[in-house]
Amino acid sequence: MATQSRPGALLRARGLQSPRWRHSLRLVRRVLLYTALIGGALFFLFPLAWMVGTSLKTIEEVGRSQLTLMPERPQWQNYEKLLNDSTFYRAYLNSVFIVSLVLLGTITSVSFVAFSFSRLQWKGRGVVFALMMSTLMLPYQATLVPQYVMFHELRWIRTFNPITIPGFFAGGAALVFLLRQFMLTIPKELDEAAMIDGANPLQIWWHVIMPLSRPAVATITVFLFVGQWNNLLMPLIYLQKPALYTMPIYVAQKLNLQESPLPWQDVMAASVLFVIPVLVVFLFTQRYFIEGISTTGSKG
Amino acid sequence: MASEMRLHNLKWALLTVIFIIVSSVALGLLARLIARLRGLSETEQRKIFWGFTLAGPWIVGFFIFVLGPALASLYYSFTDYELGQKMEWVGLDNYRKMLLVYGRQGRQFNKAMLNSFYYALIGVPLQILAALIMALLLNHEVRGIRFFRMVFYMPVILAGGPAILLAWRYMLTTNGGFVNEAMRKIAGMFFIFDYLYRGFIYGMEAFNGFYAGIAQGDPIGPLKYTAPALLGALILWLLARGEWSEGKRLLAWRAAQIVGLAMFFRLASKGLMAQPVNPAWLYAAGIAALGGIAWLGWLRHPRLRLTQGALLAATIALGIAVLARRDFALGDAETQRYLLPLALTALALIGAWIGPWTARTYRLLALFGALLSILLLVRLAPGQLDGGRLEVLMRYLTFGSTLDRTDDLDYLNKVYPVQTMSSLWFYGLAIAAWLGVAGLGEAHPMARRRLAWGGAALFALFALGSFLDGRAYFQAFERLAQASGKPNYHFSLFRQAIAQFPSSDRVPLWMNSELWSKPALILITMWSSGTGMLIFLAALKNVPRELYEAAEVDGANVWQRFVKITLPMISPAMFYNIVIGMIAALQTFETIYILQTPLTLDSLQSAAYLLYARTFSELHIGEGAAMSWILVVIILTLTVLQFRFSRSWVHYEA
Repeated sequence: MATQSRPGALLRARGLQSPRWRHSLRLVRRVLLYTALIGGALFFLFPLAWMVGTSLKTIEEVGRSQLTLMPERPQWQNYEKLLNDSTFYRAYLNSVFIVSLVLLGTITSVSFVAFSFSRLQWKGRGVVFALMMSTLMLPYQATLVPQYVMFHELRWIRTFNPITIPGFFAGGAALVFLLRQFMLTIPKELDEAAMIDGANPLQIWWHVIMPLSRPAVATITVFLFVGQWNNLLMPLIYLQKPALYTMPIYVAQKLNLQESPLPWQDVMAASVLFVIPVLVVFLFTQRYFIEGISTTGSKG
Repeated sequence: MASEMRLHNLKWALLTVIFIIVSSVALGLLARLIARLRGLSETEQRKIFWGFTLAGPWIVGFFIFVLGPALASLYYSFTDYELGQKMEWVGLDNYRKMLLVYGRQGRQFNKAMLNSFYYALIGVPLQILAALIMALLLNHEVRGIRFFRMVFYMPVILAGGPAILLAWRYMLTTNGGFVNEAMRKIAGMFFIFDYLYRGFIYGMEAFNGFYAGIAQGDPIGPLKYTAPALLGALILWLLARGEWSEGKRLLAWRAAQIVGLAMFFRLASKGLMAQPVNPAWLYAAGIAALGGIAWLGWLRHPRLRLTQGALLAATIALGIAVLARRDFALGDAETQRYLLPLALTALALIGAWIGPWTARTYRLLALFGALLSILLLVRLAPGQLDGGRLEVLMRYLTFGSTLDRTDDLDYLNKVYPVQTMSSLWFYGLAIAAWLGVAGLGEAHPMARRRLAWGGAALFALFALGSFLDGRAYFQAFERLAQASGKPNYHFSLFRQAIAQFPSSDRVPLWMNSELWSKPALILITMWSSGTGMLIFLAALKNVPRELYEAAEVDGANVWQRFVKITLPMISPAMFYNIVIGMIAALQTFETIYILQTPLTLDSLQSAAYLLYARTFSELHIGEGAAMSWILVVIILTLTVLQFRFSRSWVHYEA
């Protein structure tokens, strides 16, 4: 009886929704979908594969054929050459150093600030928070030039300070906002209970909130890491000395247009070694932010 | 060396931490003291202390790294500061250099802005389309979809760094690069593919050549007339069709507002640059202002009086500015030319201001509007200036009849001097027409239709005429260039591109030509549009299934469901992506740094890249600061405008 009024009834009566028809229709759609997905995946992965393939070629192969992805025989010495190169080694170490320091300083300070904006009730919080959100509108160009002047006056040009120190001041309102939004979802009763037990806000921060905020902290760590590891502009502006160069500058300068033929295999080998940490971090953490957003949807 | 530096850095990091702790606690104590003085309870004081102390790092950082520098850069922008040299106050000079198209700085800045405009106009829509298609593909719960989501997103994390950009640069090598080789291989498989490939090259080169021609600071280009005429025709056509609805009322009003604002900024910037202003502008602005006031009055808008007062004040201020000129003389024809439209506008506004708002007010406004229009036409008539104006106007209406006279050099010089006719009066006319049609739409539906169709036809005629005249433009430039011995005229690239259909051995030149450098950049941004994809994906998940089921019952097909349900439901995400994409277009840096060659830097560089080059390679702090503030104003305006106008088309769930 009930089926009479259901929407498909009319179509079914015409035989358009017979099980066989629907089955084959779904199969065709499935095949088309997978074709598109695989085609897209090839498009997105290809530059990476091309990078790896080229890094294993000889310079003759690089100059010759451009349609073969993999070399006839992998040239591992392209990598050996890099690993024996002290400038490469130094740039890598500089990058690791800068990124670790920035991560340490930024994550700590950001979590303090986000904690204060989400878990503590204080007069003036709304005003200060609104002020912070309004800085999101201000593009970085507004402060880039005078910051340079300031660091110049401090004699910090050609040191790591201009890149690492600002992070300690909870750099990046977007990160604070992200973490705050997460901390707001933690039940109020937890810190109230801790408060009754006589804990001060610092103890609540460390023992209650931080352990529960791990997924959000992981997410902002990844964003920060990727952003810092890739960062080209700041090192270009402030480092200005080969001994201090980080990996992005090293890789960018590997391509010397004066040389002919261009040694793309060396450039690509350095690129592969540069990309590996980012890829590893991405592979291990992507489920937090991709699945987090795409399966539940984002409301508010 | 580097290890010493690291130690040095660690030392400073430690000092910074101590500084932050001390200053944060000091901030907390200060806040607590103030709280105590204001008589708050002990627990409130404690809360305030902890709140400010823990938020302290950001608050202290805000003063040191945001507020202080922002104010300093505002100050620098008015000086000629270069590192290590004494700075001197130069007033608006830096801004003037940047905004005027003459001089090296101005030309470069103009070029960079036009490049960014290209990215925003062509790149952002393509990027959003790519993101939307990706999201629609990934919005299926099938086996392995998590893997595909990961792969589709992955380019985002790589594209920020130099490595993958170098790989792209290698793949896009003109001679034997992978992309070109693969395309050639595919084109060679089947003759239809070959034609498509050659058509692609032809289309790209023609379009980018045309854009390059405009972007090279061409005196006018036919676009200056064609664009406003087309815009007027398009919106009038939309207003003429079908029933009169709320959406159309809003469309007329919004279009008039946007164009009016653009007119105002152009006028203001001309004033700032102390450039002579064509009086036609003042007539057009007056007509537009009267139309706007009438429309607001019709709507019984609560801010009618306020707007009216502001317009009146602006008109009177302009009049005083004209009178205050050093060489002022009332008998001077030049002065009268400026004062007449201002006085007429002011009179009409005052009339509407004192009396009660009745039918007579409308008649008054219409009368003065008509008077201004007639005077404007008379001004364009021969005898007023050089006799060229009416002739030009007539040519727009007669489909560019100059085509057969392009060999007469004297004639060309006379007809095509810079600013023969202000394109502004097209804008003023368009605004007045939109608002008039809107007003009629409220009162007389039939008259609304007739007027709108007639207006649309007239504007279409203008547009067509000016476009055909554009062909005369190209010829004119060619002749002028030949005659003056300078064959390098601005549309040379365009003419070369359209001269012949590409032969089968032509390839895309990518980084070896300014016709291909921007498309290469856009290709890479499309490759890495995963962020937009994630935002669309989240929005798609939030679309209620019931809506699709209900639509299916009603017999809607896939496309109808997409247009009527999916698109409106994800419009907030679309809106967000557009804002972010346009801002990113202005700020592109890494991609340009890695991809540029000396040949294509000019055609690639964005405003942010130019800022970097001027400030940190040439160390012109003052100019850099001025440029950064222009950028800030543009970005803030974009954001605010988009938020404001999004209300009319973005659907937010209640």
